Amino acid sequence: MTNETFDVLIIGSGHAGGMAAKILSESGIRCLMLNAGPVADVARNTEHKPAYELPYRGFKPPGRLEHVFQASEFNANVWVDEREVPYTFDPAHPYNWVRVRLFGGRSLFWSRQSFRLSDYEFKGKSHDGFGEDWPISHADLSPYYSRVEEIFQVAGAMDGPPQMPDGNYVLDNEPWSQSMQRFIAAGKPFNMPVCKQRRALGRDGLASSVNLLLPDAEKTGKLTSISNAVVRELTIDKNTGLPNGCHFVDRLSRREMHVKARVVVLAAGTLESTRLLLNSKVGNSSGLVGRYLMDQVYGPGVTCSVPEARNGKATKELMGGGAIVPRFRNITTKNDAFLRGYALNVTSRIAPVDPRNFAAYGAELQRKLEEYHGSSFHMTMMGEVLGRYENHVRINKSKADAWGIPVLHVETKYTENEYNMAKDAVEVGSAVAEAAGFEVLSKNVVPNPPGYSIHEVGTCRMGDDPKHSVLNKWCQSHDHKNLFVVDGASFTSAGWQNPTMTILALSMRASEHLAGEMSKRNI
Amino acid sequence: MLRRDFVRAVVSVSFAPRLLLSQQATNPAPPLPAPVPWTQGLNPKTPLPHTEVPDGIAETEQHFFTAVQMATLVRLSDVLLPPIGNKPGALQAETPLFLDFLIGSSPTARQKMYTDGLNWLDSESQRRHKAAFAKLDATQADSILKPWLRSWMSDHPPTESHAEFVNIAHEDIRRATVNSKAWSDVLSSDEQMPVAAGLYWYPIEPDVYAESSDSARMPAHVIAAPKAAHAMPVYPR
Repeated sequence: MTNETFDVLIIGSGHAGGMAAKILSESGIRCLMLNAGPVADVARNTEHKPAYELPYRGFKPPGRLEHVFQASEFNANVWVDEREVPYTFDPAHPYNWVRVRLFGGRSLFWSRQSFRLSDYEFKGKSHDGFGEDWPISHADLSPYYSRVEEIFQVAGAMDGPPQMPDGNYVLDNEPWSQSMQRFIAAGKPFNMPVCKQRRALGRDGLASSVNLLLPDAEKTGKLTSISNAVVRELTIDKNTGLPNGCHFVDRLSRREMHVKARVVVLAAGTLESTRLLLNSKVGNSSGLVGRYLMDQVYGPGVTCSVPEARNGKATKELMGGGAIVPRFRNITTKNDAFLRGYALNVTSRIAPVDPRNFAAYGAELQRKLEEYHGSSFHMTMMGEVLGRYENHVRINKSKADAWGIPVLHVETKYTENEYNMAKDAVEVGSAVAEAAGFEVLSKNVVPNPPGYSIHEVGTCRMGDDPKHSVLNKWCQSHDHKNLFVVDGASFTSAGWQNPTMTILALSMRASEHLAGEMSKRNI
Repeated sequence: MLRRDFVRAVVSVSFAPRLLLSQQATNPAPPLPAPVPWTQGLNPKTPLPHTEVPDGIAETEQHFFTAVQMATLVRLSDVLLPPIGNKPGALQAETPLFLDFLIGSSPTARQKMYTDGLNWLDSESQRRHKAAFAKLDATQADSILKPWLRSWMSDHPPTESHAEFVNIAHEDIRRATVNSKAWSDVLSSDEQMPVAAGLYWYPIEPDVYAESSDSARMPAHVIAAPKAAHAMPVYPR
């Protein structure tokens, strides 16, 4: 019988867990990492195939992954199947919970957009009175952002306004294409800053926990990892009341097991970490575990064509490049229709224009596709969702997953604030496109269901007051000093930004704090 | 007998049974049931048989749509995506029968949208042209379809009832055709639209979902007979 007690148990292996493993193991701390899914091996698990060789000709397998809009028949096997790990919601207010349980989690598949939060997010309440300020500022996190940007090789330009702080970048010195220059000029009357896109280049084509973080941890010899370990609940020391490990079930055999550790670090992804806390009934003296679920509004956007690039006239000078328009609403002026704001992802491409942009079919459609080929220019919105108490998750005791673990019930919806923001984004985007001389082919103001962005954050928000927050500024439970939540659950507000860089920086900061406290024997 | 020969004989007699017993205690492997174990033989040098997808060789059996609905879908597919240049049309790609399979496997809401949509097309055709949609010429079909065509963005098809069907069916017909083997076979390398292909992920380790699915709860096709009731065959030698 093994009686080994690890220094730290890390649950989850994505960006958050990988960073915790790297920092802690490099500090000489013995870590055990549990991940709910198997290791993905591209050489063994994939094959390049034409769509016609697949059973459904590339259509998403019917009835599967209904809430994973991103899924296709090619990648259907990488997502969590909601029939295996279900969740519930009011059909009138659907939620798209998009999950990956492979080792490395969602760090294996992400868009690489890499932004810092600014003090317009960290100190949002001070700026506009809504919600709560974070207990930290950009200055607190900036050194960690810089180190994360180095590890992830973030490319960008030092062109950010105050609402999009610059960082430690692989500098992007590519000149703007002419179509982008026209867009920039047309955006000026709207006080719209247009900046170079910021994205993680990673190494060898990947910017994931499995290639940028876990190898460093494994090199120390201090990290032990177990795959296919589905954690059922945390265990509590009866004498101290502190978490001291967990029960888990082997995904394949369903063998029930447990492990012990002095410290528990949750990094299972925002909602899985929260589900674990709720199922374990720990860390919730505030009653706020599960509350203030946030994400970002995705779906609204504008698709255009650059007329000069049609009929085979697209050139690299005219077309190409990506830009980010950081939030520009409610910065120096106040918008009456909504609080906070949105960003626009802008892309110019020498690429086919999707057929659905034309109300035509047959030979007429084919002529349009040939004429418009190479003239694609589009904008998509990333809008901040406000943190509201009523948007929450809780345990649904009447339903369990394939391993008998009670599932989450998600209760969240967008409000007029988000809908008005989406409307504004499409109106402004269309106006700028037309002013730039582009033809607007299609547009959409309707947000995708909450969760679609895969940027779910909150539900264990951080703060200084234990009555109004779950975690302190070190991502440490107010209730249990040896319990940390280092994924997106700690967010106090969502911002418009892709949260990955902030999750990584917070995990790095929390892990260094934890290592320091452990060396001082405070934990 | 010399004394040393006597001693050697006594020693060998007393040791032999213990030696035999110790050999038995190592639990030797049972004899193989056949000359070669079942799973040994396939190896990386084993040639892989070449197989084809059934499309273009076998015909999909129609199960879901009624005969009238299928006739309407065939005409709709031909109108929306006829052969253009060297590219096959929806009919050459056997798209209507593929959609019968796809929609027949889909959730009820999707099935209803299709059956309602096809029924509406036919009734509208009867109302306007006194003929089944399947019998309409291109101009007549266009008069019904064109007013409902919309431009739209991904994940947000139009929500008006007839527009929803016309635009989603159009997209499905296009995708099923463009992703077909027939389409792939004729595309040359300089085409603007390359062959639809991608990185396919196989299931990664056995998935637990299979165990909990409806199919897993069905009784096995062949159930092994209980030992006592299973008469062993006896062959003359």
